[in-house]
Amino acid sequence: MSVDFGFYAAPVRSIDLDKPLSSEIELIFEKEPSLHRCISCGQCAAICTAGHFTKMQFYKINLKAHRGESEHVKELAEKCMLCGKCQLVCPRGVNIRHGILLMSELS
Amino acid sequence: MSKKRVSVIGAGPAGLKAAATLAANGIQVKLFERSNLTGGHLSQWHTLFPTLEPASDLIQSLQSSLDHPNIELLSLKSIQSMHSINGKWEIISTEGERFESDAVLIATGFKLFEANRKEEYGYGMYPQVVTSADVEAIFNGQQNWPFQAEVTPLRIGLVHCVGSRDAKCGNRYCSKVCCVTAVKQAIGIKKKFPEAQVYCFYMDMRMFGVGYEELYHTAQTKYNIQFIRGRLSEASPSEGSRVQVKAEDTLMGKPIKLILNMLVLMVGMEPSFQLRKQENDFYFEQNSFGDGFMQPLDPWIGSNSYNQSGLFMAGACKGPSSLPEVIQDAKAASMEICNYLNTVL
Repeated sequence: MSVDFGFYAAPVRSIDLDKPLSSEIELIFEKEPSLHRCISCGQCAAICTAGHFTKMQFYKINLKAHRGESEHVKELAEKCMLCGKCQLVCPRGVNIRHGILLMSELS
Repeated sequence: MSKKRVSVIGAGPAGLKAAATLAANGIQVKLFERSNLTGGHLSQWHTLFPTLEPASDLIQSLQSSLDHPNIELLSLKSIQSMHSINGKWEIISTEGERFESDAVLIATGFKLFEANRKEEYGYGMYPQVVTSADVEAIFNGQQNWPFQAEVTPLRIGLVHCVGSRDAKCGNRYCSKVCCVTAVKQAIGIKKKFPEAQVYCFYMDMRMFGVGYEELYHTAQTKYNIQFIRGRLSEASPSEGSRVQVKAEDTLMGKPIKLILNMLVLMVGMEPSFQLRKQENDFYFEQNSFGDGFMQPLDPWIGSNSYNQSGLFMAGACKGPSSLPEVIQDAKAASMEICNYLNTVL
């Protein structure tokens, strides 16, 4: 039986880099190494049509994957319509569509 | 007609290049160096960015030009003061010796930020915390890695801007070369330990020079070095002779923590001395907190001249600079001095 004392233990929200990345995420980077080149400039998100209506921000999803915060990566990647405008503007030549496809195939 | 004479103070890259250029133009050069070695900080480095060539190649090339009849090297000679009388400069060493010349070039370079002043990073307290200069010494085989080579997982962090862009250290300026040095050293570490995970903690990536941004690209794609925007708040001891570091990942908007086997502090540049004028004498004095670099007449046309006829400056004594900049500046200063000697004498 749980008693409501009016307070609770907040979950830790810090990123723990000591935890290794999951093998699934590592495999994505292996298949599309250009994902490492992202510098979070945000141009992909600024031009994104899906981003007007959903939480689709490619640079943020990619960053989450890099930091091991991968629980929502698949769900977020699935918002993409693969129009490819982001890839036209990316200054670092990241193969975004391939990255998104790989991320949406996560289990 | 007797030869024109110039005193060059400091036999680092700027002093060496200036001495060679002046000598080739028929000027008699006295090159003063306080240590017993020439080459300055360059003689401590292992490889040079962005080409990753060995530093020894450049040192040898600069030193070989010393072998010129017009150059006299006076090593282990510290300068205390100097003054100008009737258009001639007299330099006085700390032992009281006097040297006369027609012009003086100050090429005294910089000194590295003393990392123990950033107490929160624990340099000098935890052996796993080293400076970027220590890493060069490790690559040169003069120091050991602060961990066992076979340890797994091996995690190494590099913190940018240690002693730079930091009002708390009295240094508001950017030291320019630390970002690209971090990228260079991170690549060097990955080449040596391919299984290691390497993290760079940066405020901005200032890859201003030719080939620097490309090196950053290579570090990301080929070597999978992780760049985290956010400066470390502190390093503290952790189990297994490691250090735990904390930072804010400002792109994620979340705190980040990590245990490292080695933490490298990318130390910035500080002026190596202050030039103080008293009556007609110029004294070389120790810096104090917040002191700046030497100020030329102006940052454009008079960038090698001091506000005193016959006194010139070149290289990193004017502010943080890369080696190509220092060498170009030494050549420019030499040209300025030639023009001055031709018009005045």
